[in-house]
Amino acid sequence: MNNAYNFAFFDEGSKREIRRATLKAIAIPGYQVPFASREMPIGRGWGTGGLQLTLSLIGKEDVLKVIDQGSDESVNAVSIKKLVKDTTGVQITDHTSQATIIQSRHRIPEVPLRTDQILVLQVPLPEPLRYFEPSEHETKKLHAEKEYSGAWLMLFEQIMKYGSMTTGADHPVMVHGRYVMAPSPIPRFDNPKMDENEALILLGAGREKKIYAVPPYTRIVSLDFEDYPFEGESFHGKCCRLCGSEGVFLDELIDEATGETFYQCNDTSYCCEILNEAEKAGVN
Amino acid sequence: MKLDVVHDLQSVYRKLVDSTSRPGLISDLGKEAALLDGENPAGCSRSILLLALTLLDPEVTFKVYGGDAEAFEKEINQLTFAKAVQADKADYLILLKDAGAGSLEHAIEMADPGTFINPHKSATIIAETGIITEGNKLLLSGPGIQTSTGINIELAGNWIEKRNEKNKEYPTGVDLVFVDRNHQLLSLPRTTQITESREVEKEWVM
Repeated sequence: MNNAYNFAFFDEGSKREIRRATLKAIAIPGYQVPFASREMPIGRGWGTGGLQLTLSLIGKEDVLKVIDQGSDESVNAVSIKKLVKDTTGVQITDHTSQATIIQSRHRIPEVPLRTDQILVLQVPLPEPLRYFEPSEHETKKLHAEKEYSGAWLMLFEQIMKYGSMTTGADHPVMVHGRYVMAPSPIPRFDNPKMDENEALILLGAGREKKIYAVPPYTRIVSLDFEDYPFEGESFHGKCCRLCGSEGVFLDELIDEATGETFYQCNDTSYCCEILNEAEKAGVN
Repeated sequence: MKLDVVHDLQSVYRKLVDSTSRPGLISDLGKEAALLDGENPAGCSRSILLLALTLLDPEVTFKVYGGDAEAFEKEINQLTFAKAVQADKADYLILLKDAGAGSLEHAIEMADPGTFINPHKSATIIAETGIITEGNKLLLSGPGIQTSTGINIELAGNWIEKRNEKNKEYPTGVDLVFVDRNHQLLSLPRTTQITESREVEKEWVM
């Protein structure tokens, strides 16, 4: 641990400001609370929102897991883990079930979360209405008036043009029947995991200076139409080539030499855990 | 032992996060409060002081209700540099145990509920109450609660009615944080619906 820095990098004043914003965010699920996003030693847009939430929450007893698109070992996840470990000395883990705070970029882990865990999601664009309304002043008004026809119209236009909703990731959701929220660019596959989740989910956008939250057991409904219901990505009939898991989010990979397509778990630590268990059981 | 403003206040904050994200979950601030031994300005509850140290700084304003409000306001100002203001302008309204009947109702009525555009600018009321325990007198439901959860709280007056009135137009409203003399913390954000089971019983008898 590097003692040249404050515990958890921040001065106490910065933590207090983030903490006050977080508490208001929890009290108003899905509402984006503005906060004074601090300068961080990583670039804005590289997870500073999530990092600031993690640093304001973390204590000596916490166990931290950081994932980037399902991977514990990508550059972004490793740098964030290093920074937090250097300034706090907390234990780092790859196992979802062992972590108390999980900071994630664009995925909700495959292992179901528990009540004693907090999921922190990094958010690039917190405003679900920004696609059709460039003014922050106007989108705040639209949220205030619960005027969300634009969000539905956006999905309607996709159906008109392409025959289905083409959001891919970041499919907008309705929180507690009041606010339309960007769930961060998690795949549609992960949207249903947010609904009535057991863990507290905090979302932080560092560049856009917003914090918002989904408390546990909160109703989250992905926006859709009666005749065009919301659907997650389907991996029907496909399984991970390494661990054989079905019903998880799979990455599609193509072997350039043979042109063969194969699939692999996106959540690397989940895949690894399954493989290790199988080995222990003596399957191989 | 002395209170560590980094680690002990982090632990207070995490308990506040737990209790606010799961209304009805009672957190124990006893361990941190014990570290404040001997530092008890103006006779206020130690858990109230802990919450003030966790949340207040020069960027926010507060107002104290209670017997020796002025002395406590001065003390808090010296500790946190937060400014004491009128009730309707305050970000945090703090009610001490000797605040007297009707103070909580007054605080709820006066507190800033925020606006539809900026609901986060609403006030938070922190009050010292009688004993808080798990129970079934008040049934809570809403975000953070799986189906419903029950609590008992020794707190007279028609504060529930006043709160319902204040929080009628969601997302505007006030958030309540209660602590008792055993340092048990209960948080009731604006989304939590409170049902008095007494009323249910009355209906049943009729």
